[in-house]
Amino acid sequence: MDHFPLLSVMLYLPTVVALLVLFVPRLAPDTIKYAALFATLATFVLSLIVVFSSQQTASLRWEENYNWLPSVGIRYHLGTDGLSTIFLLLTTLSSVIALVASWTSIRVNIRAYYVTFLILETGMLGVFMTFDLFLFYVFWELVLIPMALIIGVWGSANRVYAAIKFFLFTLAGSLLMLVAIVAMYTEYFNRTGTRTLDLNTLIAIPGGWSHTFQLWTFAAFFISFAIKVPMFPVHTWLPDAHVESPTAGSVILAAVLLKLGGYGMIRFNLALFPYASHKFATPILILSVIAIIYGALVAMVQPDMKKLVAYSSVTHMGFVTLGIFSFNPQGFQGAVITMFSHGLVTGGLFLCVGVLYERAHTRQISAFGGIANRMPTYASVFMVFMLAALGLPGLSGFVGEYLSTLGSFRLANKTYAAITMFVVIFAAVYMMWLYKRVIFGEPREEHHGFADLTRIEASTLLPLVLGILYVGIYPVPLMKLLKPVIGALLAPIVGSGTAAAAADAIP
Amino acid sequence: MPDVSFPPIHYVTVVPHLIVTGLAVVLLLMDAVSRRSRAARVGQIASLVSVIGYGAALVSLLFTYDHRQVTGGGSIRYDYMAIFFLIVMLSTALLTVLVSANFVQLQSMSLLEYLVILSFSVLGMMVVAIAGDLIMVFIGIELTSIAVYVLTGFSRQSRISHEGALKYFLLGSFATGILIYGMAWTFGIAGTINLDAIRTAGASIATGNPSLLLALLLLVVGLGFKIAAVPFHMWTPDAYHGAPTPVTAFMSVGPKAAGFAAMLRVLVNGWTPAADQWVPLVIVLSVITMTFGNIVAVAQNNVKRMLAYSSIAHTGYMLVGLASYQVGASKMDFNGRAIGALLFYTFAYAFTNIGAFSILTWMQARGRGTNIESFRGLATTAPGAAIAMTIFMASLMGVPPLLGFFAKYYIIVAAINANLTWLAVIVALNSAVSAYFYLRVVAVMYFREPDRQIVPQRTSWLGLGLAVSSLGTVLFGVFSGPVFDLARKVLL
Repeated sequence: MDHFPLLSVMLYLPTVVALLVLFVPRLAPDTIKYAALFATLATFVLSLIVVFSSQQTASLRWEENYNWLPSVGIRYHLGTDGLSTIFLLLTTLSSVIALVASWTSIRVNIRAYYVTFLILETGMLGVFMTFDLFLFYVFWELVLIPMALIIGVWGSANRVYAAIKFFLFTLAGSLLMLVAIVAMYTEYFNRTGTRTLDLNTLIAIPGGWSHTFQLWTFAAFFISFAIKVPMFPVHTWLPDAHVESPTAGSVILAAVLLKLGGYGMIRFNLALFPYASHKFATPILILSVIAIIYGALVAMVQPDMKKLVAYSSVTHMGFVTLGIFSFNPQGFQGAVITMFSHGLVTGGLFLCVGVLYERAHTRQISAFGGIANRMPTYASVFMVFMLAALGLPGLSGFVGEYLSTLGSFRLANKTYAAITMFVVIFAAVYMMWLYKRVIFGEPREEHHGFADLTRIEASTLLPLVLGILYVGIYPVPLMKLLKPVIGALLAPIVGSGTAAAAADAIP
Repeated sequence: MPDVSFPPIHYVTVVPHLIVTGLAVVLLLMDAVSRRSRAARVGQIASLVSVIGYGAALVSLLFTYDHRQVTGGGSIRYDYMAIFFLIVMLSTALLTVLVSANFVQLQSMSLLEYLVILSFSVLGMMVVAIAGDLIMVFIGIELTSIAVYVLTGFSRQSRISHEGALKYFLLGSFATGILIYGMAWTFGIAGTINLDAIRTAGASIATGNPSLLLALLLLVVGLGFKIAAVPFHMWTPDAYHGAPTPVTAFMSVGPKAAGFAAMLRVLVNGWTPAADQWVPLVIVLSVITMTFGNIVAVAQNNVKRMLAYSSIAHTGYMLVGLASYQVGASKMDFNGRAIGALLFYTFAYAFTNIGAFSILTWMQARGRGTNIESFRGLATTAPGAAIAMTIFMASLMGVPPLLGFFAKYYIIVAAINANLTWLAVIVALNSAVSAYFYLRVVAVMYFREPDRQIVPQRTSWLGLGLAVSSLGTVLFGVFSGPVFDLARKVLL
């Protein structure tokens, strides 16, 4: 079964449909939308096949490994393990939801929008399934242009500034990563006489990478990923991008794009540069804690709903980097589950903001109040997302944050965990305050005609609510997917014996 | 009277040149016999003849590929380097004809005359590609330069065209003087003009010999003018801006490739033993060239002028390939990859840059300017052109998997191989800066509302040129393996 190029089919299906949409003349807007919906749904189904066919081993499934540019040792190497599978699922699910969310809200340049959107999906899927550094870089960059276009063309008033800022921030980071990739390629060739950029080969370099070399290359990779995550202090593009982006763009941005950074850190930084990871762990943990506090404090004072949610992302992603750089199984599980949950929750929150924006054409918190009276169903759905975002037990946010903090608590230095635990309360403050100001209070005259959720809106929100409940109550399937890879991912960092023992100890 | 004897020539090595010479003669004859009243029709036929001629020359490379040799008493080197440069130059010529055919006639210039001069310029470039001694290098460079001076001033009604041509001509002649002076010093030191003989003689010349250094300096300066390296770039912005746009497309690629061919012939094939002395020169040149080009390009509001400065910046990237040349027989493979990266870059640049300029031509043919504001909302009024321009801008920026990205990638690999990681970082930072102004064009096309409709105009040649260059930019990017494999054989 593994010989079927499932990953390639999944990867290029959106692009093929995009090209068809692009070149077939005189398509009705509805035809374009349904074609795009078909593509995203089909990719989603394929990703489900990947999920259900996964096994309890760390080895790659559905592997495709061919020569692409043999003279420079570049291979076309796709594959998926537990870690990739989780993110593939998140990507395809978010794509379907974002696509449905665009159904009525995107009214101009419809053909161009869906083409861009589908190409973006290919780029995102590619990042999560490549195991050749060069191919990874190709997809990493491929994500950039469609996302910038979605912000810049279909966004709100200040969209051009936000799009260019997003583009330049990310590009600056990734060019440094490119130099580091080439440096590794050269170093490996000088040591072994083989030209390769295959991830697993590079990890297994005889004798390991030299220490100074690791420090530089780690920094280059890390800066690139930290910008995407985004970590304090390179997060400033995020609020602008979110605020100006259309709702679907925000959903994709929050649900998938930020995860590219976290995924990159786990997959590349830790595995390739164990020495440098240890060296840099302390400053990164400190920055993570700063991000958690800073994001929460800034979120509290935002007058704009989207900005508030954007800053809350900074906080959540702080938990992710905290978990990753704790170097233990709980931290890893916490980081990955936080990312998955953040994709569902924050995606949902942006959709909720979008629902109100469609009706009131403003996102100012002060413009709302008493929405619960007009839109009761909406109010209860919003509440689920709000509670999940602040980490209520039983919902998905709690599982990830709990495990991340547990991971950091197992470090020798308990300060990070202690501070983090203390500031979790801020999340409750800004989220509940937002909810109170928007949903409760005196119903306003100008909101009189507001209809409750439409069928399309409900169909985007419902799967997310179910996902949040499922992960919150029974996160075991996610953990099962992760369990076999955690040992392998931790092995370079803490030594293979310790890693295996630690991985066995987790449920 | 002394007996003059000519060394034997294997004519198979100059088949492409003979074809292009034949083309030039045919075009001249067409000009002589055709009636002026039928100029438009004859111009179209001449374009077709040119396309067939360059195409035939390109195809002939397939059959002469196995006949690589040094012939003509050492004055002709038909090797991998020659073949690769011939591919680049003939593709450039083909694309230029496609881009020019409609535009030149729309501007009521004589297309036939234009094609004649173009063919001589291409011939000159092709002579440089197979040059085996300094005289061949010089003749080729001059032949191509003089023809391009004329083309620059080809728009007879336009004053900026004349201004550009005059500046180009004056500075170009000056540079030629410096170049020939450098060749004279080379002859003085080595006692020969043959490249192989210079290589042999150079081995016994002591490092730090002041006259050797002077010769190298003069050669690098003279050729630096031709490739538009900073600080010898002063003619570039005005000449590029003033020339008719298809000419700019041609001269930003063709003569530059010829200049690089000359540089490789003289420095890599000739002054190989002095590599430790010219490499530092080239490194300095590359750093200031790319940095200056990019920084000044940021401030441009005219896309044509922006592309002129970006062309300077790309010269800087190409020079990195030459700067990564390492001394020592054991470095043969690395050097092949470094110089191959330069060659690949000229190939990539040919498709991408001619493509970008052909969009400008396309706009001008529809009565638009080349100012950035003219691109407003092009995505709405002309989606196809906007997509093509996005591809070219992304390729110049270095976005994978387009041609321009692989060009930059191979350059960066070469630099890091040569322990010039800092230079690779400078290339990366420069790319980040350049993203700003390339992206600006894309942003204006997609993010701004159009202010007026596009005037419809039939330009089928141009359309074909656009299709070829954009498909080339994508496909040669994704399947860059075979091209690079040919390029890296350059030193064999």
